[in-house]
Amino acid sequence: MPGFDFSNHARNAALHAQGFPLPKATSTGTTIVGCIFDGGVVIAADTRATSGPIVADKNCEKLHYISPQIWCAGAGTAADTEFTTALISSQLELHALSTGRNPRVVTCMTMLKQHLFQHQGHIGAYLVVAGVDPTGVGLFTVHAHGSTDKLPYVTMGSGSLAAMSVFETQWKSNIDREGAIKLAADAIQAGIFNDLGSGSNVDVCVITKEKTTLMRNYIRPNERERKQRSYVFKRGTTAVLREKVVERVDIGKYVTVHEVPLEAEGEKMEVDA
Amino acid sequence: MAALFGQDALTDNGPGYAFSQAPSSAAGGIRERSFYPYTDNGGSTLGIAGEDFTILAGDTRSTSGYNINTRYAPKVFKIGGDDSEGTNATIILSVVGFAADGQILKERLDTIVKMYRYQHGKPMSVKACAQRLSTILYGKRFFPYYVHAILGGLDEEGKGALYSYDPVGSYEREQCRAGGAAASLIMPFLDNQVNFKNQYVPESGEGHALQERPRVPLKRKETEELVRDAFTSAVERHIEVGDGLQMLVVTKDGVEEIYSPLKRD
Amino acid sequence: MDTLVAQYSRPLFENEGSSQEEQLELIQTLPPLSLKFALPPIAQPSAFLRATTDDHSNPDCPIKIAHGTTTLAFRFKGGIIVATDSRATAGNWIASQTVKKVIEINNCLLGTMAGGAAGTMCAGVTPQEGPALYYIDSDGTRLAGNLFCVGSGQTFAYGVLDAEYSYDLEDEAALELGRRSILAATHRDAYSGGFINLYHVKEDGWVKHGFSDTNPIFWKTKLDKGEFSNVTSELD
Repeated sequence: MPGFDFSNHARNAALHAQGFPLPKATSTGTTIVGCIFDGGVVIAADTRATSGPIVADKNCEKLHYISPQIWCAGAGTAADTEFTTALISSQLELHALSTGRNPRVVTCMTMLKQHLFQHQGHIGAYLVVAGVDPTGVGLFTVHAHGSTDKLPYVTMGSGSLAAMSVFETQWKSNIDREGAIKLAADAIQAGIFNDLGSGSNVDVCVITKEKTTLMRNYIRPNERERKQRSYVFKRGTTAVLREKVVERVDIGKYVTVHEVPLEAEGEKMEVDA
Repeated sequence: MAALFGQDALTDNGPGYAFSQAPSSAAGGIRERSFYPYTDNGGSTLGIAGEDFTILAGDTRSTSGYNINTRYAPKVFKIGGDDSEGTNATIILSVVGFAADGQILKERLDTIVKMYRYQHGKPMSVKACAQRLSTILYGKRFFPYYVHAILGGLDEEGKGALYSYDPVGSYEREQCRAGGAAASLIMPFLDNQVNFKNQYVPESGEGHALQERPRVPLKRKETEELVRDAFTSAVERHIEVGDGLQMLVVTKDGVEEIYSPLKRD
Repeated sequence: MDTLVAQYSRPLFENEGSSQEEQLELIQTLPPLSLKFALPPIAQPSAFLRATTDDHSNPDCPIKIAHGTTTLAFRFKGGIIVATDSRATAGNWIASQTVKKVIEINNCLLGTMAGGAAGTMCAGVTPQEGPALYYIDSDGTRLAGNLFCVGSGQTFAYGVLDAEYSYDLEDEAALELGRRSILAATHRDAYSGGFINLYHVKEDGWVKHGFSDTNPIFWKTKLDKGEFSNVTSELD
C-alpha cells in the first residue's frame, strides 16, 4: 500500500477556506468503452487530457497494462488512474507468482474496488477492466467510490452518454472480433466529436485467449492542417541582456558528458510543424 | 392544466432565467428564487485593423459545459444594412460570452444604426457607432450584458478601424484584439505578429542602440493567414473552440464573408 | 387551483414582442440625456452586482471589469504635472497596455481616471484660482491639494514624489519627477505598466509630453543613471 502524506492537509484546508484556489489536477475528461465478443474482449479510449478548458495532452495513453491478458481503460484524475493501475498490476504479479497461476480479471477488479472503497472516493479513478483468464472473458467497470458492474458492453467518462448511444443502437449479441473493434471505435468517435472533454485519436486494445493486441492510434481523425505562415524568427530577434557560453570541457568538470546520436529513435518529441 | 401550461404553470411563461438554486427566504415571508441569468457559451473572436480594411473573425461553435449546442452559431454580424441580411452594411460587430446577451446587443445596435440612416439620410460613421455602443453597454452598468464586443469598420480617412469593449462599455480604438474563451491564447500571438512586440532588428546595435522591429501595416492576404493560424492553434488547445471559422472583411467595396471549416473534436 | 393559476400567470402572448417602452427606446437613435440604468429584477441588485462583477470579493466572478492603475498630479511654480500609466487589468489578465487615462476635457482642463474604488483627479488653470488641483472619488470625497497619487500603485509613486518634490522645481525637473514616479510604480506594482502618459498644465493651456513605453525608459534609467541597482542580469 502506498503511504499517503497528509501533513499538509490542515494547512491546505485553511488556505482554501481563505479563498486560495486548489491546484488543478490533470483530468482525462475522456470517453472509454469496452465490449465483449465471441472469444475475447475489446477496450478503447480517446487520447485527450484536459486541465479545465485547456487541452493538456493531445495524444495521451489511457489504456493501462495490468498483466499480459488484463488491461484497464482509465478516466478521471490522470495521476490516480496511472498509479492505481500500476499498484494493482504490481500486486497482481506478486499474487500470480506466489500462486503459480495466471491472474483472473475478477481478482483484479476486486483488488481495485477494495483499494478505491478504502479511500472513500478521494482517489478519482474510474476504470474499465477487461481481460481473458482461465475462467473465460471478463469485462467490468469500477467507480471511484468502489462500486462495480459486469456487463457485455460498457462506457465511462464525460463522453459515456455519446458512446453508449452507439452501443444501444448498434450492439448485437454474437458480435465477432472485427464487429466489436468497429463498434468500440465508433463509440469512441461519438465521444470525440460530441463531448468537449474527449478528442484527438482512438486507441484500441483487443484481448483474446491467444494474444493481446494493442493498437495505439488505431484511428487518427483529427490531424492538424499545415500552418498558413512560417513563424521562424531571424537569429538575433530577441533582445539579450547578457550572454555566457559554457563549453563542453567546462561542464565536464561537474558532470559526465555522453555523446548522444542526434534524433535518436524513440527520443523524438511529438511536435507540430 | 398540464396540457395548457406544461410542467410548471408558474414558471413556464416566466422570463426563462436559470433558477438553479433553492429559493432563499427574505423577511416578511416573501420568498425569492436565486437569480443567475448568465451562461458562458464559449467560443472565441478576434479582430485586426489593416491599412484599408478591417477583419473580424469568430469560431462558430456554441457550447454549454461539455456539450455542443450547435456547430454553426455566427458570432460576427453586419450592422446597419438595408435588410435583415445586412446588404450594403459598412460596420461589423463581433460578440462573445453569453450568446443571448450578444444577440440582443447586436439587434439593438443594428436597429439604432438603421434608424440613424433613416432619420439623417446618411450612414453612421464607425466613430459615432463606437461611442453609441459604449452608451448602450453602460446603460446596463448594474445588470451588464455578459459579452466582449469588438466593432470594426473604416474611419473617415478610409483606414481600418477597430474598437474593443469591456462588458460595461469601457472602450478603446486598437490595431488588434482577441476576445472570449481563447483570448489569453490568441492575444500574445497577435501582440507578437501584428505589433511585433518583443521583436528587435538583428544586429542593429548593442544595448540601447538595438532597434525595435518597426511596425508596418499588414497586407490583407497575410492578415487572413494570421487569423486562420490563430484559430487552428486555439482549436488545438481550447476545448470550447472549433467547428467553423467565420470571417467578415470590411473594405471600401463593402463587407465580404469568408467561411472555412475547423476541427470538430 | 385555476384561480391561483390565473392570479399568478399572464397569458403567453403578453410576453411576446417588446413593450411599448422598449419599442420607443429602439427608435430613438440618440441616447437619453439623463442616464437610466437597467437593473436586475430582484430585491437586492447590489448583491447581484457584487456576485457577478466584483473580482475582489469573488475571484471567480464571470464578468471582470478592468481595474488597477497609477495616476499622479502635482502643483508647482510652473503649473501642474499630470502623469499616468496605461495598463488595464481584469483579474490577473492584462486587458490592455494602451489605455488613455488622461481625459482632455478642454484645452486647459485635464482629468485622470482610475477604476475600482480609486478616485479621479481634475487639474486646470483658472484666472481666479491659478493652477487648481482636485481629488474626487466615488464616495463623493472632494479634496483640493498640491500633490496626489491615486490607484493600486499610489504608494510607490508617493515614495518617489514625496522624496523629490519641491514647489520651486523647474519645468524640465518637474516633468522628469512625474515620469520617474510613474516608472517606480510600474516597476513594483503588477497592476500598473505599459506606457507613461505625461502632461504639463500651464496658464495658457496644457502641453502633452508623450505617451512613452516604460521598457526603454527603465533600462535608460538603470544603465545611464545607475538607479534600480537591485536589478541585475548577472549569470553567476
